[in-house]
Amino acid sequence: MPTRRVFLQNLIRGGILAGLGLLTGSLVFRSRKGGTCRLNISCNACSKNGSCTLVPAFETRQFVWQLDPSKCIQCGRCATECVHTPSAVKCVHVYAMCGYCDLCGGYFKPDTKTLNTGAENQLCPTSAIKRSFIEDPFFEYTIDENLCIGCGKCVKGCGAFGNGSLQLQIRHHICDNCNECAIARKCPAGAFSRVPATSPYLLKGFGKQPLSGDKTGGPESF
Amino acid sequence: MKSKIIIIAAIVMLIAIMGYMAWDLFLSAPPEAKNPWEYKVGDLKRVDSSILNYIEMKPFKPEMEEVHGVDVDSSGTIYVVGKNRVGIFGRDGNLKNSFPISGIGTCITMRNQLIYVGILDHIELFNMSGDRIKRWKRTAPGSVITSIAVNGNDVFLADAGNKMVYRYTAAGKLLNRIGQKDTVQNIPGFVIPSPYFDLAIGKDRTLWVVNPGRHSFEHYTMEGHLLNSWGSASNSTAGFCGCCNPTNFALLNDGSFVTSEKGIERIKIYSNEGVYRELVATPEMFAEGVKGLDLAVDPQGRILVLDPAKNQVRVFVRK
Repeated sequence: MPTRRVFLQNLIRGGILAGLGLLTGSLVFRSRKGGTCRLNISCNACSKNGSCTLVPAFETRQFVWQLDPSKCIQCGRCATECVHTPSAVKCVHVYAMCGYCDLCGGYFKPDTKTLNTGAENQLCPTSAIKRSFIEDPFFEYTIDENLCIGCGKCVKGCGAFGNGSLQLQIRHHICDNCNECAIARKCPAGAFSRVPATSPYLLKGFGKQPLSGDKTGGPESF
Repeated sequence: MKSKIIIIAAIVMLIAIMGYMAWDLFLSAPPEAKNPWEYKVGDLKRVDSSILNYIEMKPFKPEMEEVHGVDVDSSGTIYVVGKNRVGIFGRDGNLKNSFPISGIGTCITMRNQLIYVGILDHIELFNMSGDRIKRWKRTAPGSVITSIAVNGNDVFLADAGNKMVYRYTAAGKLLNRIGQKDTVQNIPGFVIPSPYFDLAIGKDRTLWVVNPGRHSFEHYTMEGHLLNSWGSASNSTAGFCGCCNPTNFALLNDGSFVTSEKGIERIKIYSNEGVYRELVATPEMFAEGVKGLDLAVDPQGRILVLDPAKNQVRVFVRK
């Protein structure tokens, strides 16, 4: 009897060890395997846009942190609380919503007299928004993510006076996906949540449409 | 005895200090973090309401899910359109009739005993009982009809989707397009960043159209020749704020303009030459972020404001 008991105990131990070994092996295998980018989003980390191989760690994530622009109140904590400096939260431009306005509420200070790119006219504290002429009277606004600190000042201006095409989002090629997000802990609007890594961006208005490539503009829907 | 008192005092002080430390650590609220990049949009909306020459009367609720358009006929009857429904109200807001429509009604006008309703991309005509008389074909792919004006046998439609004004006959035949960019005729073209694009027939039977992206009013003949324009962009009360304003307008009985804006939600009056005259309603009177405050003026000169946030028709009269 004692021999049978010892045998069963060893069998269970062996089973647990084998299971742990398989689990570790599969994780190592998955982390080494390259993946196809599923973001379909313009990204400074990659010029291929839509077919890049992301940092392998991203592929092993099931859920990632993201902020919901419809809850965001542009309190400025995204800029100050992130473990990264500058923050992993950046302003992204949903071109399909943009009116390509001459007088952009997200670009110009409210008391601007002449609509030019003078630093004294710009709302952005780091001049991270580039304004380029398309054709009369349309201008395109692009975000330089290396300069953007995620303060949300332009987001507030665009939401108040425009269509709300400038929105804050966590950029996953920068984010460490901490277990406890330092910004989420301080966010007064409760805008942060974990979302599936397969659809990691939450964009207001035009849902999960690509952020670049589609620059048709035009009125938002009723 | 003396040392005993000192020991007791020291213990009390120690307990007090420990209590304070515990409260500070676990119970006190953290100091409110100040946003170094705060953009105080509210400061732009502060206006002295004592300068107003208009007062608000009792509003009424059209009782529909969403409201988008309002119009008044020559007898003072009020027409409101919204999601799936048209409501007809008396001057004091009493419901006279109500009938369903199939879709989101974006604009409405009543002329010659016919109710013209814009339903996103097409027009439907109803009689006063709510029976559908006719359904016009879709004006163009991607149309969003935001305003209708009728002048005799001409029907003008503002299409925000195609950034164009269409002139039709009352029978629904397209006569001409107005507002296409034309450098020879000096027509700048309409700039419509958001779906707010209004038009009206002036006292002299000419057409006034808002060009919101250029913050201006454009004055056209029926054939589409540009006569003149006025308007300027500014956050100050005399100009039109934001990316694209005014969103809506109506003409007062003396030909002057009543305008509504989004961003800084306000109702203003300009003379018929485009000179800023006065404020009717201040931003504090509206919910923050409300858009599409449609306007109508009744024969007594009352200004009716359709407030989509409160789902009300609000009435402003001169003091």
